[in-house]
Amino acid sequence: MAAIETRNLTKRYGDDAALEGLELTVDEGEVFGFLGPNGAGKTTTIDLLLDFIRPTDGSATVLGHDTQDETDAVRDRVGILPDGFDLWERSSGYRHLEFALASKGGSESPEALLDRVGLDRADAERPVGDYSKGMAQRLAMAMALVGDPDLLILDEPSSGLDPHGIRTFQEIIREEATDGTTVFFSSHILGQVSAVCDRVGILDDGDLVTVDTIAGLRERSGVGSSLVVDVAEEPVVDLGEIDGVTDVTVRQDGRLRVTYADPAAKALALHRLVDSGATIVDFDVEEPTLEDLFTAFTGTDADSVQAGESSDELGRARHRATDGGARVDSSGPDRARADAETEVGR
Amino acid sequence: MSSTLIARKDFEDAIRSRLVWAVMGVFLFLMALVAVSASTQDLSEVEPTQLIVTVTNIGGLLFIPIVSLIVGYMAIVGERQSGSLRVLFGLSHSRWDVFVGKFVSRLGVVFVATLLTVALTVGMAVAMFDSVPLGTYLGYSVLTILLGLAFAAIAVGVSAVSTSRMQAMGGAIGSYVVFSLIWHPLVAGVHYLLEGSMPGLEAPEWYFLLLRLNPLDAYRQVSSELASEFIWGIIGMESIVEDIPDAAFENPDTLLVSNRVSGDLPFYLSDWFAAVVLLVWIVVPLAIGYWRFDGADLN
Repeated sequence: MAAIETRNLTKRYGDDAALEGLELTVDEGEVFGFLGPNGAGKTTTIDLLLDFIRPTDGSATVLGHDTQDETDAVRDRVGILPDGFDLWERSSGYRHLEFALASKGGSESPEALLDRVGLDRADAERPVGDYSKGMAQRLAMAMALVGDPDLLILDEPSSGLDPHGIRTFQEIIREEATDGTTVFFSSHILGQVSAVCDRVGILDDGDLVTVDTIAGLRERSGVGSSLVVDVAEEPVVDLGEIDGVTDVTVRQDGRLRVTYADPAAKALALHRLVDSGATIVDFDVEEPTLEDLFTAFTGTDADSVQAGESSDELGRARHRATDGGARVDSSGPDRARADAETEVGR
Repeated sequence: MSSTLIARKDFEDAIRSRLVWAVMGVFLFLMALVAVSASTQDLSEVEPTQLIVTVTNIGGLLFIPIVSLIVGYMAIVGERQSGSLRVLFGLSHSRWDVFVGKFVSRLGVVFVATLLTVALTVGMAVAMFDSVPLGTYLGYSVLTILLGLAFAAIAVGVSAVSTSRMQAMGGAIGSYVVFSLIWHPLVAGVHYLLEGSMPGLEAPEWYFLLLRLNPLDAYRQVSSELASEFIWGIIGMESIVEDIPDAAFENPDTLLVSNRVSGDLPFYLSDWFAAVVLLVWIVVPLAIGYWRFDGADLN
């Protein structure tokens, strides 16, 4: 049974389509990344799944229950961290958790929930009106986890979080996934989706552009990985005939770029170069970034996806984690890639 | 069960509203002034129901509707606008749970506030007068509580159909303006169209029925009857849109509805019918509010 299944799910406001004919299946137990710029229809989809708004056309099921007819059954088994919300400012954090536990019939201890999301116990006694955005986000995550939901829906979970908070949330997502919980995770920040998600759906302007694993997306987008080799003199061997190599370019300074779709091709290419007598000074592998993928699939500029530097929390996390300087910027995407690869591999 | 949780949680928050207590504080201050000024006077010649007139003027026609509207108008639109409605849905509450929990809580707050008001009123009456007609005061108390609940229900209903705080505020203020300023001239206009003249001192029964369908006028008409003294509204519409001889104003009791209708009062002009009107004003706004809330897109 699918955790989420939508059929021709459509929401229009007048002539304006917020979501158009969404056909999406999220399997039970997977971590699904829902990726797209702000206004692409991510929150609209989530609102439709929770019967917060009613579809213009089509239908959806969550954990086998129809979202229109069996709303209660859906909500009983789902935990939600919504995007852009205020909590009840006059109540303490503890009172919020108490309310969530009573509402969901959860048996967790409030302290354990606080520890999980990294919220201070002393802070939990203060009224939530005093909380920072990040603290409120942690508290809402704790409330979403109450009652061990079978599906966790996280809408832009990293907004307002500091880098440490983002790591905490990523750990929680991995723990939940290990536990068998399905996680549906929407974000406009590509690095975060690739860090935890098994599969990714790209949404653009109300249309689902594609669904695949990160690796699959790379392969199909045609923006393959590249092997960049510095050679002492221009090589005489033709690397283009190697299976899996899609493009070879040679620059005048002797730098060779071999783009391939099949990772096995890079070793073969290096082998041929050595055989031909070329002197290899240095080599490097460049993976395409998710920004490249997005551009390839949606035809839009990846910059617009990032929606400004300040929203890229993971980017800032890297800046802080490393000792500044120009190297930091280039190491950022590398780490994101490493994360993506380990996640996709499991 | 689910709505009980929401009601309890919301009651905790709503009862802590500083605005509500500030307005209640002003009201209590005015009541204290009344008590102080009464204590310096010789009350032996004053009717023991006189306090009903005072409380109706300060409380019933002004503070109680305003406090009730303030308590109610953010009930649902507040959660909707702040996005916490999504959190409630995520905690497996349904639209019905949220709506019921909210109106029970807000009407509960108003019930507490109006109960304090009438308890204070009866307490003051017992302290001020030698013999207090408790039956009359009891009827007045019930009426006052129902008035508060009716305005709270109107505010919650408005809150449920509103998409923004400003809209709900406009609806709440608008309802008070309609009931206190517009309703009476409108009914007088109907009289003019049907009878060819403005209503005089004696007017047809249906004219008073139409006036009584306004919760504020239902309350004022019956408070006047209970006090046996005509009580003016916030704006004295009787002197503006009605064609009443000046002599009648010299003895305001002639303006009591029971004195303006020839013959016996029909059932719908009897005192208890005002309670029915107020009950309808509790049920109908809530029903319409839920019906619209249930079908709405809540983003």
